[in-house]
Amino acid sequence: MKDTPLSNCERDFLLKAIEEKKRLDGRQTYDYRNIKITFGTDYGCCFVDLGKTRVMAQVSSELVAPKESRPNEGILFFNIELSPMASPAFEQGRQSELSVKLNRQLERCFRNSKCIDTESLCVVSGEKVWQIRVDVHTLNHDGNLMDAASIAAITALCHFRRPDVSIQGEEITLYTPEERDPIPLSIYHMPISVSFSFFQQGTYLLVDPIEREERVMDGLLMIAMNKHREICSIQSSGGIMLLKEQVLRCSKIASVKVSEITELISKALENDKKARKAGERCGFAESMPQDRITALKMDETPVEMKDVTEKAEDIVKKSEEPPQTYPLNTRCTAIYPLGPHWNALDFRHVKNNFNARCLIFGNCLQLEIPPVITLGETQSEKSHTQISRVGLLALELHELHVTKGPSLQWKSRPYALIRNMLRQSWGGGVCKSAMISPSNMVIVVNGEE
Amino acid sequence: MAADMRLPIARKPVILSVPSFDRKDLVVPGDVITLDTGFMRGHGTYVDEEKLTASVAGKVQRVDKLICVSPLKTRFNGEVGDVIVGRITEVQQKRWKVETNSRLDSVLLLSSVNLPGGELRRRSAEDELTMREYLQEGDLISAEVQSVFSDGALSLHTRSLKYGKLGQGVLVQLSPSLIKRQKTHFHNLPCGASIILGNNGFVWLYPTPAQQEEEAGGFYTSLEPVSLPDREVISRLRNCLLAMAAHKVLLYDTSVLYCYESSLQHQVKDILKPEVMEEIVLLTQQKLLEHES
Repeated sequence: MKDTPLSNCERDFLLKAIEEKKRLDGRQTYDYRNIKITFGTDYGCCFVDLGKTRVMAQVSSELVAPKESRPNEGILFFNIELSPMASPAFEQGRQSELSVKLNRQLERCFRNSKCIDTESLCVVSGEKVWQIRVDVHTLNHDGNLMDAASIAAITALCHFRRPDVSIQGEEITLYTPEERDPIPLSIYHMPISVSFSFFQQGTYLLVDPIEREERVMDGLLMIAMNKHREICSIQSSGGIMLLKEQVLRCSKIASVKVSEITELISKALENDKKARKAGERCGFAESMPQDRITALKMDETPVEMKDVTEKAEDIVKKSEEPPQTYPLNTRCTAIYPLGPHWNALDFRHVKNNFNARCLIFGNCLQLEIPPVITLGETQSEKSHTQISRVGLLALELHELHVTKGPSLQWKSRPYALIRNMLRQSWGGGVCKSAMISPSNMVIVVNGEE
Repeated sequence: MAADMRLPIARKPVILSVPSFDRKDLVVPGDVITLDTGFMRGHGTYVDEEKLTASVAGKVQRVDKLICVSPLKTRFNGEVGDVIVGRITEVQQKRWKVETNSRLDSVLLLSSVNLPGGELRRRSAEDELTMREYLQEGDLISAEVQSVFSDGALSLHTRSLKYGKLGQGVLVQLSPSLIKRQKTHFHNLPCGASIILGNNGFVWLYPTPAQQEEEAGGFYTSLEPVSLPDREVISRLRNCLLAMAAHKVLLYDTSVLYCYESSLQHQVKDILKPEVMEEIVLLTQQKLLEHES
C-alpha cells in the first residue's frame, strides 16, 4: 500500500523549521534520539530502540561447506527484512529499492571492514566452516533504519555464542550448550553507521533524521566508523553535491557519536552478562512486565520544574487583573476538592483557626464562615472582611494541599486569584459569581444585600 | 515549551444513545450471524462449521439471499456520485492519480476536467504537456466519482464549476464512516466559513468566498490574505470536527453547526482537551435529539 503523501504545508513547515535550526522533536542538529538496547533469551538476539524506530537482530550459526575461493574462512551472511509491521509502505516479500540499499550497506559496513575474524570460524579447511547469519527485522520505521540496524547487528554479533567444536583426527565433535559453554565470536572492532541528512542542496544538515525529515531531505550521507576513528564505509545517496569540508566535518561528528554509542553498547553487554551470571531471568519473559514489547509505549518525559515558581509569579505580576466583580454577602462558602492525602488533623486545624463549619460531601470539603459582625463596620466593609477571610482560608487550604500533595501544584496562580479578590472594590446590587481557578478550587460567593 | 497541567478527574462513561446490545444487526468479529445455510455469504463473513460468522465489526446487511457485513472502520469504498476531497500524488500521461483514502489511488482523467476558460474541445497533445500547470503533485482537489473501475479504483471528474482545485483552507482527515450521505456536501455555514464534507472522510474548511465570481474552470485559487476572524472560525470548526470524530458523532452540516455553537463558551485551544470535548459533544447530541423530535 502506498504511503499517504506529505502535504505541501507540512513540507514547507519542516523545511522552514530546519532553516531556523528547529526540529520537530526539539532535538539539536547533532543530537541522536534515545537509544535503548535490550537482549532476548537466546544468545545473539538483540532489540534496539532508536527513538520510535525499532529493529531486532538475530544471529545464528550453522556448519556448512566453505566457498571454493576461500577454503579456510567462515561465511558471513546479512539479511535485512522490511516487514509491513514497520510501515504500511513496505510490502511483504517485495524487494524494494530501500531494502536493497540497506542490505548492501550492511554488507559493506561489516563484511568489507573485516570486523569479525572469519579464519577463526574455520573447523576443517576446505570442508566445514561456520556460517554466521545475521537477520535484522524492522519492527517500526520512524526514520534512520540504517543506524538502528547497524547497532543491532554489531551488538547481536558481540552477544552471540557459537557452539564449541573439537577435532580428533578425522572426527569432529559438536558440543551442545549443556556439555560445554558456547564461545563468543572474535570481533576486532565495532563499526557503527551514522547517518546525515541534507536539505536545501546541502546547506543544512541533520543527524539521525526521523521519518518526516527523511521525506523532505535532498540527500543522505552514511558514514560507518569504529571507535578507533577508522572509517569502515562511506556512502552518499540522493545525488547532492557535497563539499570536501562538509564530508570532513561529518566524519568528525561521526567519530564523536560512534564513541558514545560504542560505550552504550559495551555497557549494555556488561549488564546483560552480569544478569545472566546472577541467574536472573532475561529476555522475552523479563521484558513483558516492563512493557518493552509494546512499540507505542510513551516514555515519561521529565519536566523542568526548577524555577517554576519565579516564572509563574512573573507571569502573574505582568498579567492584567480580571474584571471587577461585586460580591456582597452574608455568608461565604468555599468548596475545596480533597486529595487522597487529607486526614482528620487538617480539618481540626482549619476548624480551630478559622471558626468555620466544615462539611465533607463527596470528595470536597465545604467551609462555611458565618457572618462576622463587628461594630462600626458598614455592610460593605463587613463583606470585604468576609471575602478576605474566606480567601485567606482557601489560600491556607491550598498551601496545606501543596505541602502535602504532589509537587506538581502551582502555588502562585490561586494566590493571585485570591489576592485579586481581596482587592475588589465593592458596591451595591445582588450578584452571584463563581470563579474556577486552574487548580480546581471553586470559590462560590452568594450575593445578597 | 509551555505545558498545561490539570488535576486528574475521574471520567464518567458517556451513555446517551440507545444501548447497543439490543441491536441484532451490529456484530463484532466472531459473532454468529445466522445458523441458516440457505444464505450466500458476502464481504465480511466466513463460514465456520456451517455457521455464518462475521469477520469484521460492523452492521449486517441483507439483500435477499446475500448477507454481508459492512465494517465501521474501513477505507473509503466509493460509489458513483460521491463527492470526494483528494490530493494529487502523481501526474501521468493524460491523467492524474489522486489519493482519496481508499484501497487504490483514484484516477482523474484529463478528459474529465474543465479546461480553464470553460472551453469544450478535444484534448490535444499540448494539453497533455501542460497538465502540470493545472494540477501538480500535492494539490488538493474536490471532485465527484464518475465511475468505478473493475479493480475498485475510482474514476473522478471535475466537470462542474463547484469542483476543482482547492485554495486556502484547512483539511481534516477523518474516518469515512462518520460522514453522513446527504443531497449536497457543500455548505456555507452561517458562522462564517464554508465546508466540504467529502465522502472519503476528508473535510475541507475554507473562508466563504466574498462574491461568487466567475471561476475559470475551477483552477483559479485566490491567494488573498484571510482575515483573523475568519481564521478563528475555521480553527474552531476544525477542533469541533476532531471532538466529534473522537466521540463518533455522525457529521453533517447541522451537527457541525450545533457543535460550533456549543463550543463558543470555550477558547479555541481548550476544545482539544478531553473533558471539554466530552462536554461539547454531550451538548451537541442533546441538541440533535431535540431537533429530531
